[in-house]
Amino acid sequence: MVPLLLSILFSLEPVRNVRAFDTPDDGGGSITVTWEIPESDTFITRIEIFRMEGSTEATPELVGYFLRPQTQFVDNTVEDGIPYYYFVRIRSDSVYVDSKITTTPAISKAQWFSGRRLPALIILVLYFGFLMFYIFKAKTGGSLFIRKIAGLEAIDEAVGRSTEMGRPILYILGLGFISDIPTVASLAILKRVSKKAAEYEAEVIVPCFDPIVMVAAQETVKEGYLEAGRPDLYNEGQVFYLTSDQFGYAAGVDGIMLRQRPGAVFLQGLFFAESLILAETGHSIGAIQISGTTAVTQLPFFIAATDYTLIGEEMYAASAYLSKDPLALGTIKGEDIAKMVLVVLILIGTLMETLGIHWLSNFFALF
Amino acid sequence: MKREIPLAITFISGFLLIVALFIPHKPFGTLQETFNDWYIIVSGFTMILGIDSLLLHNWNKVKRRKSDWPYALALIMSFFLTFLWGLYSIVYEPTHNPFAPTASFLKYFYKSIFVPLQATMFALLAFFIASAAYRAFRAREINSTLLLFSAALVMLGRVPEGEQAAPYVFGIIFLLFAVYFFIEASLLTAGFLKYLYIALGVLLLAAIYPVGKLLLAYLPKIADWIMNIPQLAAKRGILIGVALGGIAMSLRIIVGIERTYLK
Amino acid sequence: MREFFEKLGKIDRRIIYLIVAIGVITPILFKARLPIKPLPEVRQAFDYIESLPESSAVLISIDYDASSMPELQPMLYALLRHVFRKNLRVIMLGHWPLGVPLGQIALEDVAKEMGKKYGVDYCFLGYRPGIAAVMLNLGKEIRSVFASDYKYTPLDSLPMMRNIHNYNDIALLIGLEAGSVGDFWVQFAQARFNQKIILGSTAVITPDIYPYLQAGQIVGLIGGLRGAADYETLVNTPGPASIGMYSQTVVHILVVALIILGNVGYFVLRRRK
Repeated sequence: MVPLLLSILFSLEPVRNVRAFDTPDDGGGSITVTWEIPESDTFITRIEIFRMEGSTEATPELVGYFLRPQTQFVDNTVEDGIPYYYFVRIRSDSVYVDSKITTTPAISKAQWFSGRRLPALIILVLYFGFLMFYIFKAKTGGSLFIRKIAGLEAIDEAVGRSTEMGRPILYILGLGFISDIPTVASLAILKRVSKKAAEYEAEVIVPCFDPIVMVAAQETVKEGYLEAGRPDLYNEGQVFYLTSDQFGYAAGVDGIMLRQRPGAVFLQGLFFAESLILAETGHSIGAIQISGTTAVTQLPFFIAATDYTLIGEEMYAASAYLSKDPLALGTIKGEDIAKMVLVVLILIGTLMETLGIHWLSNFFALF
Repeated sequence: MKREIPLAITFISGFLLIVALFIPHKPFGTLQETFNDWYIIVSGFTMILGIDSLLLHNWNKVKRRKSDWPYALALIMSFFLTFLWGLYSIVYEPTHNPFAPTASFLKYFYKSIFVPLQATMFALLAFFIASAAYRAFRAREINSTLLLFSAALVMLGRVPEGEQAAPYVFGIIFLLFAVYFFIEASLLTAGFLKYLYIALGVLLLAAIYPVGKLLLAYLPKIADWIMNIPQLAAKRGILIGVALGGIAMSLRIIVGIERTYLK
Repeated sequence: MREFFEKLGKIDRRIIYLIVAIGVITPILFKARLPIKPLPEVRQAFDYIESLPESSAVLISIDYDASSMPELQPMLYALLRHVFRKNLRVIMLGHWPLGVPLGQIALEDVAKEMGKKYGVDYCFLGYRPGIAAVMLNLGKEIRSVFASDYKYTPLDSLPMMRNIHNYNDIALLIGLEAGSVGDFWVQFAQARFNQKIILGSTAVITPDIYPYLQAGQIVGLIGGLRGAADYETLVNTPGPASIGMYSQTVVHILVVALIILGNVGYFVLRRRK
């Protein structure tokens, strides 16, 4: 016991290079303190950070502590514009030593630009540039080619077949909220489906998971019927709220499938573990099914169980594809060019990493 | 105006949030949090819309005695039962908390009805995966055959003792393919294709033993490799596409090209 | 003969369901168990808990609900038994409001079984809305989010909580995940506060979590029923997961067998055409 105590007493050196500075790239109210622990200090049980407000003579105040060796502390209890001084105390049980007090005052302030997000800004500006360029190109009449997407071509066929069988069409928007982009993309497809359905005088049923999405879906279906010139066919009861519980929703939709036997089922949006429960039940009633999602883990289920699947970005392309709006098509072209650039960047990055050059990965790692 | 005002709100709020990502200074730094708070408050109130829609939709079914109206009635009754029971727990039970361990709501409703119902729905997946896999995994062409093999490898490689069963399973698969090739060959007149089929059949038969040995020793590692390398690569490819598409879609929404969600 | 093969290619789904049901139920009825070799990432989690000094605080987050109970509940029981056996202290909270009571049920069960005392060896905080906000505030001061536990007892009145203020005082965070909350834990608790994390997850989302393990952002991963069974084996208390594992193995083999039968039918039919 005595040799152990002695070794602690002799080896406890104060931490070195204590620095305190305004936390960079933040909204103020924060100072970062860093220090170095001498290698000989192996018995640290506690690290305490003390702060003095205004001058080095002020009474030190304990602002934070660690029970493990750490070399950085972020003090979020400071006020902007006031100079602060810091020192760090390390303890080994009851023995402790203090570091020197920081010589320059640390003053917190808010920044107007987040430097560490510069790479993101560069990418964003470049990408928006591509998109805007192709939007303008489309505006000035350049023709844009978009490949055939089988799942979207099949929409009319599905609606038609369902009508022939005299059955309704079921449209599922998934578990997304209106703030999820797949949900908005799905609404665009819903508009096309309801327009076609109105033309054929078929009924569209849309059970919803979220009330806001329900309201948006009601507007969308109404608009689709209006575009087809049949607003008289629309009734509020077609688009209704079911529940916001995942499996409750799955049970409810399965029930609708088995009782109303829709001829076509659309599963478009954000899906989770209920995806296969819906798709298999849809298959069991013999409906033609068109699915689409950006949830990568659910895609295999949809591909296995439904007739057509929109994979990831194909769903986002749907509204442009269906409306043939040149402006929207322009953004898709821009997206493709950006993807090329990314592929090249990934290849260069892989090559550079293999050769041991790391600046490219470091540049992007900053974000 | 009916269209312009919502479009303007979308544009301004979308643009502000993008800008705010790069400006930590007040008021931009906390803008996203503020907007999120507003969204949460608004969406809380829309629950009333949802409940209104749900009850009205089902009440109409009951009133008009539409087919399956008893289900609608069951739904309405369950809704009020849950609601009133929760309310009773809050007001009358000693802890005033429906989810306290002693509350009757937790004991009889949550544990005895809600939990089993949810678990039942999720458990259906086991059955549906089996039937979907049975239908989907057919060796129609080279691609689907590869998919079939990797599926079998992963399914067996991810369970304990899977490597014990794998040599037999793959032995049978190889044997069946060999038989298939021999039958194909027997129906062909002499020629390159006939000998190719025979050679393939023999190759498969010869491969049964070494492949079995290999699977016995390395199956879990092979399954992990499939999951970590080809699976992840394909997934990342799709994810990059989804991310780019998402940004383009957001831009279309912000600048007003995409407005299906508006009337 | 032809009809037989035709049937092989088109087995009625109800027959498939029946086969799966028998495959699942039989091992459970007989409580059959397979010898289980724990996966390295599960052992890593186990070893990390083993290495913690006595009476360290462990924060457990319940981020699932009843639907993922078969996978995650056995995991929670096994983890709790291990943690209590090591005389560690447990603080429990959750981000899925409807699942939080499940955590509480397990905590009370295991505490009773191991003779642990509320407020001294474990405490239950419950649920607060706002995933990211809760996680960030836990890094500053627990009391700013949970001023009291679920029974409205102020945290300072619980002996074990007196010296626990933020992640610095928490040796380990265990997140049991059925969705994306685990990503938040890594993003906020690990990346910003350097919190050590072990994640337990349903099999469906496990592939999404592997990259965190590879990058060293979490110190252990318990994935799916297999992971739960592994953990039960490691703490030497075989339970529902170990039994379920037998069912899972049987069903996996059955599904592969069904796929083979389907293909035989398919090939024979194609030949005839």
